[in-house]
Amino acid sequence: MMKTRMLIAAVLLAGTALAGCDKVEKALGSKAAEVTEAAYPERVYWGDTHLHTANSVDAFVFGNRLGPEEALRFARGEEVTSSTGVKAKLARPLDFLVITDHAEGMGSTKALYDAPRILIRDPQVLKWYDMMHQGPEQSVKAMNEILEARAKGTLPEQFRNPKANAERTHNVWNTNLDTVERYNEPGKFTAFMGFEYTLMQGGNNLHRNVIFRDGKDRVGQIDPLDPTNELTPDKLWDYMDAYQAKTGGKVLAIPHNSNVSNGLMFMMTDGGGKPMTAAWAKRRADHEPVVEVTQIKGDSEAHPFLSPNDEFAGFGKAGWDIGNLMLTEDKKPNMFAAEYVREALKRGLLLEQNLGVNPYKFGMIGSTDSHTSLSTGDENNFFGKHSGVEPGPKRAMIPQGLGAKSARFGWQYLAGGYAGVWAKANTRAAIWDALARREVYGTTGPRMTVRFFGGWDFKGDDLNGDWVKAGYGRGVPMGGNLATGKTGKPSFIVSALKDPDGANLDRVQVVKGWVDKAGKLHEKIFDVVWSDMDKRKVTGGKVPAVGDTVDVARATYTNSIGAATLATVWSDPEFDPAVRAFYYVRVLEIPTPRWPAFDALRYHIKLGPDVEVKAQERAYTSPIWYTPAS
Amino acid sequence: MTWRERAAQVLREPLVHFLLAGAVVYALLAGRAPDLGERRIVVNEAVVGQLLSRWSESYRRPPTPAELDGLIADYVRDQAYYREALRLGLDKDDEVVMRRMRNKMIALATSEAEAATPTDAQLQALLDKDPARYARETLFDFSQIYLGPDSPEGRKAAEFALDQIRRGTDPASLGKPIPVPTSFSKGAASEIAGMFGDSFVAGLRQQPLGAWSGPVASGFGLHLVKVTARTAPAKPQLADVRQALENDWRADALRKAEDANYRRILAGYDVKIELKK
Repeated sequence: MMKTRMLIAAVLLAGTALAGCDKVEKALGSKAAEVTEAAYPERVYWGDTHLHTANSVDAFVFGNRLGPEEALRFARGEEVTSSTGVKAKLARPLDFLVITDHAEGMGSTKALYDAPRILIRDPQVLKWYDMMHQGPEQSVKAMNEILEARAKGTLPEQFRNPKANAERTHNVWNTNLDTVERYNEPGKFTAFMGFEYTLMQGGNNLHRNVIFRDGKDRVGQIDPLDPTNELTPDKLWDYMDAYQAKTGGKVLAIPHNSNVSNGLMFMMTDGGGKPMTAAWAKRRADHEPVVEVTQIKGDSEAHPFLSPNDEFAGFGKAGWDIGNLMLTEDKKPNMFAAEYVREALKRGLLLEQNLGVNPYKFGMIGSTDSHTSLSTGDENNFFGKHSGVEPGPKRAMIPQGLGAKSARFGWQYLAGGYAGVWAKANTRAAIWDALARREVYGTTGPRMTVRFFGGWDFKGDDLNGDWVKAGYGRGVPMGGNLATGKTGKPSFIVSALKDPDGANLDRVQVVKGWVDKAGKLHEKIFDVVWSDMDKRKVTGGKVPAVGDTVDVARATYTNSIGAATLATVWSDPEFDPAVRAFYYVRVLEIPTPRWPAFDALRYHIKLGPDVEVKAQERAYTSPIWYTPAS
Repeated sequence: MTWRERAAQVLREPLVHFLLAGAVVYALLAGRAPDLGERRIVVNEAVVGQLLSRWSESYRRPPTPAELDGLIADYVRDQAYYREALRLGLDKDDEVVMRRMRNKMIALATSEAEAATPTDAQLQALLDKDPARYARETLFDFSQIYLGPDSPEGRKAAEFALDQIRRGTDPASLGKPIPVPTSFSKGAASEIAGMFGDSFVAGLRQQPLGAWSGPVASGFGLHLVKVTARTAPAKPQLADVRQALENDWRADALRKAEDANYRRILAGYDVKIELKK
């Protein structure tokens, strides 16, 4: 096979000596690791692009005492002791990790906690300080009050002091970069530099994770950007442009939790509510090539309100579709369209029809958003949203809202979200490039292998040969654009393989979205291949359910139903060459027990009747787009 | 930068604060407790200087005279309460005080270890202790065909297929389609485990070299395999794995420092656990 050779020189810097103001960086030795990039992606790499450590304002007060070092060791498969003293280890290591601590007030609550009490003048801050020192329960309560004040814009001055914040952030950031650099091992484990830009309008979530392609030599030239006084992502994009111009590096942003943005994440207007311009649409698409579609705080693929004909829409929506992130505003049905990813992809087509640019031409990944420093995405090994809800008998049933209002419950949080990346090597450059070209997919936790190629001449017997090579040679992979100027119907190679340590597959679906000439948006879901097709005949236009082997009391299932692998070549029977369309793949597993079932078994607790104890976990690929030749 | 600025910088370091705080705690533990009965609270230049610098650190400006008066009044109030509380023994058995003191002791014990740099000899010793941990992985050259789910019938079919291959049938014609490579050249154990599951790698380790054999179970079902080479990893060299060694050494040094510190302290106590059998 043709291989291009690339030499990645990782200069590893560590330890900043304490020598007055002269910051002495001591090179502990430079290491040149030779990593070979394949001609095309041969395997999928698994990772988490969204993890918080004790340096995040909220994570610390929720009880997290583990820093980036523990987070990286854990992701690499080492055993660490969690903040609540529990031994924690991943069954399988991850291939990469992005630590995304909140830029806003990075390290500030830890600093507050460690500060002498005499320094704290503000009675409100003093109250929180005392609560933080009164044990885990009070500390969690304090954090919810802080979050609520943040959402309402009533944080005391001490929290808003920009200069003090900037200085602290600079120090914490640089220490973190050193740690990330020490654990980045090209070819084996990739540690990215990044942060979360926690943009909000009131309690409405407009958060983005910012991920750098580069090492400390470049990323160390800038500090993370504080979103405190911003309402739209424009400043973030300016910042990203400035970084690239200044350092020659590369950076991208990944929005998440559109499901709790209360109608703001994927608007038909620009971020400020003005009519969208082509220039704004282009900026959005250029800076944000990927969206995080599923994570601990719910799943944003599709909602039954928008997709009434999709019997599998609404995965993990319970509790998340009642209001915004902070529950300061209830959800109204007219907000859903700007919150769910499938609808956003459709809106993108319409906007492109009107403006000539598609602002929402993005790929999909999953990630955890775990605030425990532990990237746990498996149902039987879930360490919770934050350290206040690490494994224990109460967490499934207690109210667990963010902010002071408590209308969400423990069991509604999802154990999940990982990113599958079709990269040419396990390096920062290769994985980042795959994100940028959207050759990625998201899962709700399981590691199923999914391939998706679109072209104009794929036939069923392609599957008998080297179809991966054919896929790249004669078509485009997930995230790509179908070649223009072709006649006939597009055809797709679709292949899914179960997680080797997980459940069998129920079915593979192609989700198509399109916009007609009148500007009306449409979607349709095609079941393209499923297990036991000879027995499960389509009746009433539907593939019968796969069945259910879950034993809730024992938290087990068996792979006696479903299939280990499903593959087909599918062509769109309703293809209209005149209309814009996208196609993405959704893979469903057979039903398996959710984490509350494992908790019930471990702690001998009784779950309430509302608690969802099983689910069909799934994968979502990035779309392939079709654009009519103009 | 003048020595004065430099000194100010050093004084602002959290580490220095920890060390100072720690020194006080050590002094307490060493039995040289300040005279708690002393009834004099002194506000001198040094105290005010400290109040001023802490204020400026938080608010980025010096306090107004009224604010400074408030700071001093607060300082006196804190001292009075603090000393009186200690005199009355209110710090005893207070969980918050205990946790705070414990955290300070740990921070103090580990701050030195955090700044320490290992010598090559130390790293070499770590490497010699557990060379397998730092070794590159076993590499496998093999081909595989997939036969479907693992079941009694599946195992019988595998035996039959193996027999056919030995009689000259092309293995590729017997396999069922599965989207994993049919052959690997120098595939690393962890990579193969990620793709097929741990049990498959365990199976590969046991197969004879150079002939079709099996079945070997993976997370997908049964496979027949032909392992042509198993390359054992070379002995790891310090230069190649320095960073991993340093990371481990550092993490271990922190653990050890904390543990040693605790043991040293504990040695000064007589612990009796009195429980009825």
